[in-house]
Amino acid sequence: MSLYQSSVKKPIMTALVYVAVIIIGIFSLSKLPVDLFPEMGENTIMVFTTYPGASAADIENNISKPLENVLNGISDLKNITSNSKENYSIIYLEFEYGVDINEATNDVRDKLDMFNSMLPDGANLPFIFKFSMEDIPILMLSVQSNESTDALYKILDDKVASPLRRIRGVGTVSVAGAPQREIQIYCDPYKLEAYNLTIEGIASRIAAENQNVPLGNIDLGSETYSMRVHGEFSSAKLMEDVIVGSFNNQNVFLRDVAIVKDTIQERMQEVYNNGMRGAMVGVRKQSGSNSVEIANKVFEKLPEIQQSLPSDVKLDLIANTSDSIVNTINSLQETIIIILILVIFVVLFFLGRWRATFIIALVIPVSLVSSFIYLFLTGNSLNIISLSSLSLAIGLVVDDAIVVIENITTHIERGTKPKSAAIFATSEISLSIIAATLVLIAVFLPLTFLEGMVGVMFEQLGWIVTIVITVSLIAAMSLTPMLSSLMLKSDPKRGKVFGTIYKPIEKGLAKLDKGYSNFLKWSVSHRSVIVVSALVLFGGSILLMKFVPTEFFPVQDQARLSISVKYPIGTRLETTRAFGLEFSEHVKKNYPEVLMCNFSVGQADEDNAYMMLSDNGSHIISFNLRFKKKTERKRSITELADQLREDLKKYPEINSFAVTMGLGMLSSQNVDIEVYGYDFEKTDKFANEIADRMRKVPGCTEVNISRDEYTPEIQIDFDRQKLAENGLSLTTASSFVRNRFNGFIASYYREDGEEYNIKVRYAPEFRQSVEAIENILVYNSSGAGIRIKDLGTVVEQLTPPTIVRKNRERMVKVSAIVGEDAVLSEIVAAANKELKQMDKPADIDYKIAGAWEDQQESFQDLITLMLLIVILVYIVMASQFESFTYPFVIMFSIPFGFSGVLIGLAITSTPLGIMALVGLMMLIGIVVKNGIVLIDYTILCRERGMNIKDAVVAAGRSRLRPILMTTLTTVLGMIPLALDKGEGAEMWNSLGMTVAWGLSMSTIVTLVLIPILYSLFADFGVFRKNRKLKKLATT
Amino acid sequence: MKAVFISFYQAFYDEVIDVLDNLEIRGFTYWPEVQGRGSETGEPHYGTHTWPTLNAAVLTFIEDHKVKALLDAVHQLDLSAPQQGIKAFVLHAEEA
Repeated sequence: MSLYQSSVKKPIMTALVYVAVIIIGIFSLSKLPVDLFPEMGENTIMVFTTYPGASAADIENNISKPLENVLNGISDLKNITSNSKENYSIIYLEFEYGVDINEATNDVRDKLDMFNSMLPDGANLPFIFKFSMEDIPILMLSVQSNESTDALYKILDDKVASPLRRIRGVGTVSVAGAPQREIQIYCDPYKLEAYNLTIEGIASRIAAENQNVPLGNIDLGSETYSMRVHGEFSSAKLMEDVIVGSFNNQNVFLRDVAIVKDTIQERMQEVYNNGMRGAMVGVRKQSGSNSVEIANKVFEKLPEIQQSLPSDVKLDLIANTSDSIVNTINSLQETIIIILILVIFVVLFFLGRWRATFIIALVIPVSLVSSFIYLFLTGNSLNIISLSSLSLAIGLVVDDAIVVIENITTHIERGTKPKSAAIFATSEISLSIIAATLVLIAVFLPLTFLEGMVGVMFEQLGWIVTIVITVSLIAAMSLTPMLSSLMLKSDPKRGKVFGTIYKPIEKGLAKLDKGYSNFLKWSVSHRSVIVVSALVLFGGSILLMKFVPTEFFPVQDQARLSISVKYPIGTRLETTRAFGLEFSEHVKKNYPEVLMCNFSVGQADEDNAYMMLSDNGSHIISFNLRFKKKTERKRSITELADQLREDLKKYPEINSFAVTMGLGMLSSQNVDIEVYGYDFEKTDKFANEIADRMRKVPGCTEVNISRDEYTPEIQIDFDRQKLAENGLSLTTASSFVRNRFNGFIASYYREDGEEYNIKVRYAPEFRQSVEAIENILVYNSSGAGIRIKDLGTVVEQLTPPTIVRKNRERMVKVSAIVGEDAVLSEIVAAANKELKQMDKPADIDYKIAGAWEDQQESFQDLITLMLLIVILVYIVMASQFESFTYPFVIMFSIPFGFSGVLIGLAITSTPLGIMALVGLMMLIGIVVKNGIVLIDYTILCRERGMNIKDAVVAAGRSRLRPILMTTLTTVLGMIPLALDKGEGAEMWNSLGMTVAWGLSMSTIVTLVLIPILYSLFADFGVFRKNRKLKKLATT
Repeated sequence: MKAVFISFYQAFYDEVIDVLDNLEIRGFTYWPEVQGRGSETGEPHYGTHTWPTLNAAVLTFIEDHKVKALLDAVHQLDLSAPQQGIKAFVLHAEEA
C-alpha cells in the first residue's frame, strides 16, 4: 500500500505520527542553545617560545624561522604568521575552518618535539596556546566607586567575582582596573648606603621575621601539646620595628631607613567608566557553554550582588555579547512569523477556501519543526543561519501541498468522493512533486559540500532546507491527502461574508488569466519581438554589473565601538589619562547615543590573559563605547565611527588610533595590503607611501600600519672587564638594578586567608632620574660596593619593533578601513590603482588580503558550486522529461534571475555579498521549478492532441495561478527579510533583496519567454520530423 | 442470465460495490486497473503522464430481472459525476 493510501485509510495513525513529530520538535527547540553563528570551532594555535636576552632579530633567526620551517608541513594549515619580539616569539598557525583542532594540536606538538633539540641554549621549550572566541569575555561589567577605590579589588574579588564563578558554565572572571593591595617598603638609598644595607638584605630580614615556626611537642601531665611561634606580622606597622642590621653596635630598625606603607600596587591599568574611576569585571564562559544562558544567569544574580556591595560601589554593563545575539534572533523570529502569515494569506487569496488553506498551512509547522530535531541531534544551535534558512524554506514547503490540494479539489469537483479523490489525485501527481523536490535538493544539498568558513556557515542552510522540503514532500503526500479526505467537501460553499470579500478577488484573478492568455496568443505570433526584447533586457542588466559593488559579509550594527588610541611610545600615564578623561567628556557631550563610555589606560596585569593579548601600555588608551540599540537611534554605527574618527583627528598629539566596530569577523571590513620584503627601511618606506596614498582615497576612513615604530629604551651597557675586575656577574648586577626599581618581593603579608605582596624597593622620589640608576651600589661577594656608573654606561636607545612574518617572509600590513557609504570592492580597486602607480623596489612584494581575500576565496567556491548545481538541476530535469531540449529551454530563465538580481541590487544600491550569492543559488532552484511546471503542462497539452500554439496558450492559462501562487509565497516571504531594519538584519537584507528581485523578474520572464522559446524549439522539432518523413517517402 | 460489464474511474470502486450490494448481487469479477477511453467525449484513462487516471472494471453475471435495476443504479451514479463517465454494458450469457 502506498504512503498516501495508508495515510488516508488510517487517519488516526497519520495524525498521531505528525503530532509526535511536532512534540519532539518542540522539545528539541526548548533544548536548543541560542547563538549568533554556527559553532565555528577554534582555528588558531599559538606557539610561544621565550629566549631571555635575545633581540628581535636574534629571535627571528634562531627561533621563529626554524620553527616556521618545521611547522609549515602540517596539513590544513592556511597561514603561518610569526611575531618576533625581544625575549620571545609567538607563532600563529591559522588552520582552515572546520579542521579538528585537537588533531592539529597533536601534529603541532609532534613537530615541536622534533624541534626541541635544535633550540639554542638558553631558550625555553615552546608551549602551545589555543585562542578561541571563548577567550573573549561575554560580559563586561563596569564598576564605579568613589570612596572604596583602595579596597576595590578585594571587594570585587570576594563579592562579585567569587559568586559569579560559582555559576555553572562561567569560566574565568577577571577584575581589571582595581588595584591590588600591596605592602610597600620604600627605602632611602642614602641611608641604606650610610648603614651598609642592601634591599636584598632588608628583604631577607623581613622574610625571616615574617614566619610561623613549629617548635616540636611537649608532654604536660597526661597530654601532649605542640609548640609553635606565631611570628607572622599581624599589621604592616609592626614591620617598622624589625631590626635590619647594626651600625656602631647600635641596632638599625627598618623605620630608620625606610617607610612602610600598607597601600596598593604602583603600576596598573586604570579604568574609567563615564569619566569616573572604577574597575571592569570580565566574565568568560567555559568552552561549549551557551553565552545567552550564562548571561541571563549572571543578570539574575547581579541585584543580589549589588545589595552586598558597599553603597558607593555601583555595577553597570559595558558590553554584553549575548544581548546582540538575543536581539538578532528575536528580530529574525518576528520576521519568520510575518512570513508565515503572509504565506498563509497568499494561499488563501489564490484558493479562496479556508479549509484548503488550513490544510496547506499545517504543513508549514510540521516541516519547520523537523529542522529543530536535526539541529538538536547534531548539537547545533539556533542561529542566524539556521533561522534564515527556515525563513527561506517557509515559501517552499507549501508548494507541494498546494499542488496536491489543487488536484484533489479538481477531482472532487468532478464528482469523486473526497476519500477516493485524496488517494488517486495524490497518486497522479506524486511523481511530478517528487521531481520538483529533487530539483530543490539538487540546489541545496551541494551547499553542504563547501569547505572553509563559508562551509561552516552554509552546511546548516543546506541541510535544513533539504530536510525541511523532504519532510514537506512527505507531509504533502500523507498529511495533506488525509486531511483533505476528512475536511474537503464535495460541494464547498463559501460563507456569506467571506464570499462578498472574495468575489472581486475571484473576478480579478479571472481577468488576469484572460489577459495573460491573450498576451500569450499575441506573443506566439510575434516571437521575434519577445526574443529580441528579452535579449535587450538581459544585455542591459549585464551593463548594470558595473554599478553593483561587492562585499564579503555586511557590516553589522552591534551597538558598540572600541577605540584604541596610541600616544607616542613612552608617554606617561598622567598624559594619556588626561586625554582619556577629556575625550570621554567630549563623547558624553556630543554623542547622546552613548550609554556607557568606558576606557582603560596603563599596563595590564600579568594575570589577565585577555588584556595582555590586546595591546596595552601606558601610552595606549582603549575605549569601549556602548550605544543605544540600532532601532532607537538615528545615526548608524558606521556614521558614528566615522564621526569619532573625525574628532580624533583633531588631536595632533595622538600617534595613531583605530576605531573598530563590534566584535568578531562581521564587525568591520578591512582592505589589508600586505607588503613582503626583508629590508626594514624599504618596506617601511613602501608601506608608508601606500598608507599616505590610501588616506586620500575617498571612502577610506582610517589607515593603519602594523609595524610599530622604534621604541626608546634605557639600556645599561655593562663593561664585562670592569664586572670581572670587581668579581661581579652580569646577572647579579642586573638583578640589583631590577630589585631597586621594580622591587623585590620579600614575603607575603597574610590577612583573612588572602596573601599580599611585601615589596621592598627605593622610594618613588629616588627612582626618577638616570643618575639614580648610575648611583646604585652593587655589592660583590667580598662586601665591597661599586656604583653602576663604574661598571658600565646608561644610555637611551631605540630598539627595533616586533618583526612580523607571514608565510615565512617579513611582512608589514597596511589596513584600510572601509567607511560609511563605501564598499570593499571600490576600496580594493582604488588600492590596486594606487599600487600600480607606485614604483615598487624589486625585492618587495605585495598582496591584498583581509576581508577581500576571504571574499574572493568564498566567491570562487560559491561560483564553482553554482555551476555544479546548474549541472545537477539539468540532470534531474533531463531525466524527468527524458529529453535534452526541454530542460535547456527551462534553463533560459536562470540568466534572467541574475538580471533581476542585478537590477534589484543596483536600484537599492545593495552590495553583492555572500548572502546575496546564497540567494542566487536558491533562485536557480525556484526559477527552474516554475519552468518545469509550465513546460510539463505544455507537453501534456500537446500529447493530448493540441497543436503547439494552442498548447502553449492553454498551458499558460492553466498554470498561471499555481506559478504565481508559489512565486508569491516565496517573494512575499522575502520582502520582510529584505526590508527588516531590526538588529542583525544587515545579514539577511541582501539575501531577501536578491531572491525577491531575482524571482519576480525571472518569473515574469518565465511566463513570457519560456513558452515562446518552447514553441520555437517544438516547431523546429516538428520541422525535423517532417523532413525525415519526407526523406523516407522519397526513398 | 446476463453479463453486465461496468467500467468506471478507479476512485468509484466503493460506490460501484455499494450498488451491487444494494441489489443483492453477490458474484462479480473486479479488475482494479484497466485502461481505455470513452466512445464519444470520454477522457482516456491510461495511467500515463498525459492521461494519468486509470479505470477499473467489474464484470458480473446476474439474473435477467436484476439487469434493469442495476443499469438504472449505474446510470444514477453516472449522473452524480457526469465527467467521470461510468458506463455499464450488457451481454448475453449462458450458465454452464
